[in-house]
Amino acid sequence: MTTLDTAPVAATAPAPTRAVVRVWRTLRSSRAAVIGLSVVTVHVLIALLAPLLTSYDPIANNADEALLGPSGAHWAGTDQYGRDVLARVLYGGRYALGVSVTATLITVALGTVIGCAAALRGGWFDDVLGRILDAVLSVPAVLSLLVVVTALGTGPSVIVLAIAVVFVPQVVRVVRGAALAVVPQDYVTAARARGEGTWAILRREILPNITDVVCVEFAMRASWVVLLISSLSFLGFGADPPTPDWGLMVAENRTAITVVPMASLAPIIALATLVIGLNLAADGLSKAWGVDRIREGS
Amino acid sequence: MGASGTASSGATPIVSVNSLSVAYRSGGRDVPVVREVSLEVAPGRTVALVGESGSGKSTVAATLLGHLRHGSRITGGSVHIKGSDVFALSPRELRRLRGGTVAMVAQNAGHALTPSMRIGRQIAEAGGDIPVVDLLDQVRLPRPAELARRYPHELSGGQQQRVAIAMAIAARPDVLVLDEPTTGLDVVTQRGVLDLIAGLRDELGLAAVLVSHDLGVVAHLADDVTVLRSGRVVESSSTRTLFATPQDPYTRKLLASVPRLDDAGLALVGEAGEREVRPKAQVPVEATVAVSAREVTVDYGSTRAVHGVSFDVRRGEVLALVGESGSGKSTLAWTLAGLRTPSGGTLTHESGDLARPAERRPLSLRRRVQLVFQNADTSLNPRRSVGDAVRRPLRFFGSATSQADAAVRARELISDVRLDPALADRLPAQLSGGQRQRIGIARALAGEPDVLIADEITTALDVSVQAEVLRLLDDLRRERRLACLFISHDLAVVRGIADRVAVLRHGVVVEEGPTEAVFASPGHPYTRQLMAAALEPDPDAEPLAEDTAEWVDTAEPDDLWTDHGDGHRVRRWSTSVTEGNA
Amino acid sequence: MLSFLARRIAAALGTLLLASVLVFLAVQALPGDVATQVLGKDATPDAVAALRGQLGLDRPAWERYTDWVGGALHGDFGTSLVTGKAVGGEVSAYLGNSALIAGITILFAVTGSIVLGVLAGLYRDRWPDHLISTVSLVGMSVPEFVVATVLVLCFSIALPWFPAVVLYGPDASVGQLLPAVWLPALALAVVMAAYIVRMARTSVIDVMASEYVTTARLKGLSTWRVVTRHALPGALLPTLHVIALNVAWLAGGVAVVENVFNYPGIGKLMLSSVQNRDLPVIQAIALVSSVVYVACNLAADLATMALNPKLRTRGRTR
Repeated sequence: MTTLDTAPVAATAPAPTRAVVRVWRTLRSSRAAVIGLSVVTVHVLIALLAPLLTSYDPIANNADEALLGPSGAHWAGTDQYGRDVLARVLYGGRYALGVSVTATLITVALGTVIGCAAALRGGWFDDVLGRILDAVLSVPAVLSLLVVVTALGTGPSVIVLAIAVVFVPQVVRVVRGAALAVVPQDYVTAARARGEGTWAILRREILPNITDVVCVEFAMRASWVVLLISSLSFLGFGADPPTPDWGLMVAENRTAITVVPMASLAPIIALATLVIGLNLAADGLSKAWGVDRIREGS
Repeated sequence: MGASGTASSGATPIVSVNSLSVAYRSGGRDVPVVREVSLEVAPGRTVALVGESGSGKSTVAATLLGHLRHGSRITGGSVHIKGSDVFALSPRELRRLRGGTVAMVAQNAGHALTPSMRIGRQIAEAGGDIPVVDLLDQVRLPRPAELARRYPHELSGGQQQRVAIAMAIAARPDVLVLDEPTTGLDVVTQRGVLDLIAGLRDELGLAAVLVSHDLGVVAHLADDVTVLRSGRVVESSSTRTLFATPQDPYTRKLLASVPRLDDAGLALVGEAGEREVRPKAQVPVEATVAVSAREVTVDYGSTRAVHGVSFDVRRGEVLALVGESGSGKSTLAWTLAGLRTPSGGTLTHESGDLARPAERRPLSLRRRVQLVFQNADTSLNPRRSVGDAVRRPLRFFGSATSQADAAVRARELISDVRLDPALADRLPAQLSGGQRQRIGIARALAGEPDVLIADEITTALDVSVQAEVLRLLDDLRRERRLACLFISHDLAVVRGIADRVAVLRHGVVVEEGPTEAVFASPGHPYTRQLMAAALEPDPDAEPLAEDTAEWVDTAEPDDLWTDHGDGHRVRRWSTSVTEGNA
Repeated sequence: MLSFLARRIAAALGTLLLASVLVFLAVQALPGDVATQVLGKDATPDAVAALRGQLGLDRPAWERYTDWVGGALHGDFGTSLVTGKAVGGEVSAYLGNSALIAGITILFAVTGSIVLGVLAGLYRDRWPDHLISTVSLVGMSVPEFVVATVLVLCFSIALPWFPAVVLYGPDASVGQLLPAVWLPALALAVVMAAYIVRMARTSVIDVMASEYVTTARLKGLSTWRVVTRHALPGALLPTLHVIALNVAWLAGGVAVVENVFNYPGIGKLMLSSVQNRDLPVIQAIALVSSVVYVACNLAADLATMALNPKLRTRGRTR
């Protein structure tokens, strides 16, 4: 209960600068977040710059060079079709990141709006929504995805849509919980006493106070989505075969794992580092912002 | 500071703290919380650690049990109990010290008792060979055998605190550490718990260390007092000396800031602790009635929180609603602010009907009735600058025509509440508690109200800050002729600021009248009980009123009141049935 | 308390009903007519119409829904479009095999992760915590198929202790399947445990910082007693729901792992029925999964109630 007033002096800056200051302070206080975000940034850069980093075509077959071990020409060897593994790994990030970032953005945006609305409106709206979300959650995500994908094909847009359907309920739950903690606060009550409208209260009072939760949720959810998409590809329901994709690569090269282990290990390492990066970022941010509810003795 | 030991006449101290320093790590560096504090407690004596929030008093108290918060460490000095260094003990010896030699009663028993464990077992595991039932009996809890089988949440706050005390004395320790033992309890309950602690201490011959921010509690219980500020000892002497002739300016200011039951007006406190009582503002007889309530009832589901309350508040007048928790006083405030709808009666403002929720009141009416919240920490949006908090209602109610105008007006309002307008760009977390509460007031003023509802606005504040906020409120109502509804549980605060008082009990007004009249001759036994329980910051204070024994309510629908003249009236009552009609 | 119980069970049934409607509608919305699917693109319109009549596809949707749910209540989920066998029997055979894996997984994952999570929470910010937290972070960051592949590499190829693939069909006996169960169970347990460890750690830290645990410590109790009597009941309550969610997650999570090991479980059936568009089987699996999910959550709620006296004694007078 004893709170020391440690009012930092650097705080008189206008709003945008203040946000920068806050982000900077968060990063400085959390090594996990810095490492996580750097790993993710490296992945994004690699995906963007893939053509500059390798001269091989990730989808060109070359039967003469099939199943080679690591060498000067092919750093990570080649797969059964003679494709350069490193090139496929570097390009593979494009699919994984592209689809998962889009899917996560849509999911988190939708989930945030619905979750806030549920928390603020309450009553029957909240009850009915809760039941529906529970019903959607009760069907395994993999099954729903498989059904959607078989029905509508395996294009990236279909996968994005399918993931939104599967993950929105979970985001709604988390955001609703966070918003419910804000709704009874006196500043929301003050806005109500002023007679402000629902939308204004949502935008001015609630959203700014759950951005932490939403950011962490984004990083967490992105890591899940990357995992799920790769599992889907692994099962043969995600990226179509010539596409360089990590999950697909593991599925293709698994049988030859004793011959060319790098062909399986390289995509595994890429996948694991990306997800670890996202998880570290989520962890670090949630700890730095206190989203993980751990109350430190002041 | 060197005088700390002199008060305890000669006997070997059982507790001795020698220039103790404690720091916790934050952002890679040590932040000191306690700096070179020394303290001694002789057997059978009670020493109080007094200070405002952040003074490190609780940290010092916890070190007597060898306890530090996660992330804190000793940076210097030592703590000796019965001659042995607490922080050099082996884990086994430390366990024996805790409970056996030193026992603690924590601040909030509701949080300090394990929710998943029966009371009896929690007391039994504290050790000692005294049966649980006897311990519960010793802390004067009714039906101890049955109570021992209950879970903590099935008890009231006062009962929980008594259980915590029973747990502390179970192993018959030599030293009792009391960390704000009655904070959060109602006055009457607090008085009961304090009397129990004093009784047990004398009966068992315990030494005690009392941590408190409440000088009334300290004056009532302690033999010696050590005043802490930002982790340092400011002053240390016997209770009587300290209250009679405080030496340090900080102590003097602290003492002067405490409102007293016999102040005829608001106490204005100078920097060096000089105290001047400002006479109350005269409310002109012709002042119009701003708000009027007639037989208002408010329900929460099937329970009735407010039963037929009536009052008027005139422009420039402060009406205080006094009562314990559950008396319905805050419900009434929220209803007036339009956050609840009354289920019966009429509630009117001079320009319209207030019996409707805020969103259905016309804008012109909504802006004229404004609420200031109890807890300024939660009433300001932590992600928006405090300037924004004031600008928003200016724009929303249309009193400012443009963004630029709003910014200028907001700065004016912030300086009107005696703050530096440069603070407008800060976030609430960067202000102190008192500053935040002033911003809360500025935000309410932005609607240019003529009715201000102040819901326990000083309860969460330190006493010196409380004095400043009260003075601000008094100034504002004089300047702006505000009709002010002041909600409080603290009679001394009410005495200084209110023109009239209404005492609420279980949603019913039991007594109302001019402040002077009510305090001079409280007519209702409940009012007297509240006054008798109030603690003055003076070791020799006599209770202002005698406690009355059993009584019953005898109000009839058409014969509610006994009139004492000049608007002072008391709800009809009589002493208990055995005595018949008085 | 009884009314709370009744409300909770009613809510669970409501969720289940809603889920069955959603499953039914989703499967209905799949493009392509089932009859055409079965008979192929070259079928004559007459044959298609005949099959539609035989399958009851010409009746209104709600009628088919009530038939389906009514049948499902008696264990009759219709006949598989591919094998022509009763769906109920087929699903339960596969389900039984999966239950074998799930049982072992839950046993190891739950006990192991609670122990580790509690340890990490108690040794907060010291090396056991760092170790456990790092391992669990890696555990939750690596997809199931990777764990499974690595396990195969280590314990089937490098050290030939366990079979890499199962060669039996769904009717294999427990004795035949038992040697093949361990690797899939381990792969699932690693992923599942990672989440529970993290949740247990967080809630242990939360509770250890609470005032009542501090009070218990300051009573002079031993650390063991403080942890087991005072901290754990409160710390495990929030963990229960995470466990329930994870158990329910197994229903879907097994799909990938069973595929890696060619294990004849519900996940494998799910995959093949999706590939073959065997709608009755898909519906049945979805419904069974919903039942598992709802049952797990209900169990967690009831356990919470049993452990939390505030809920148990609700309604008793003060």
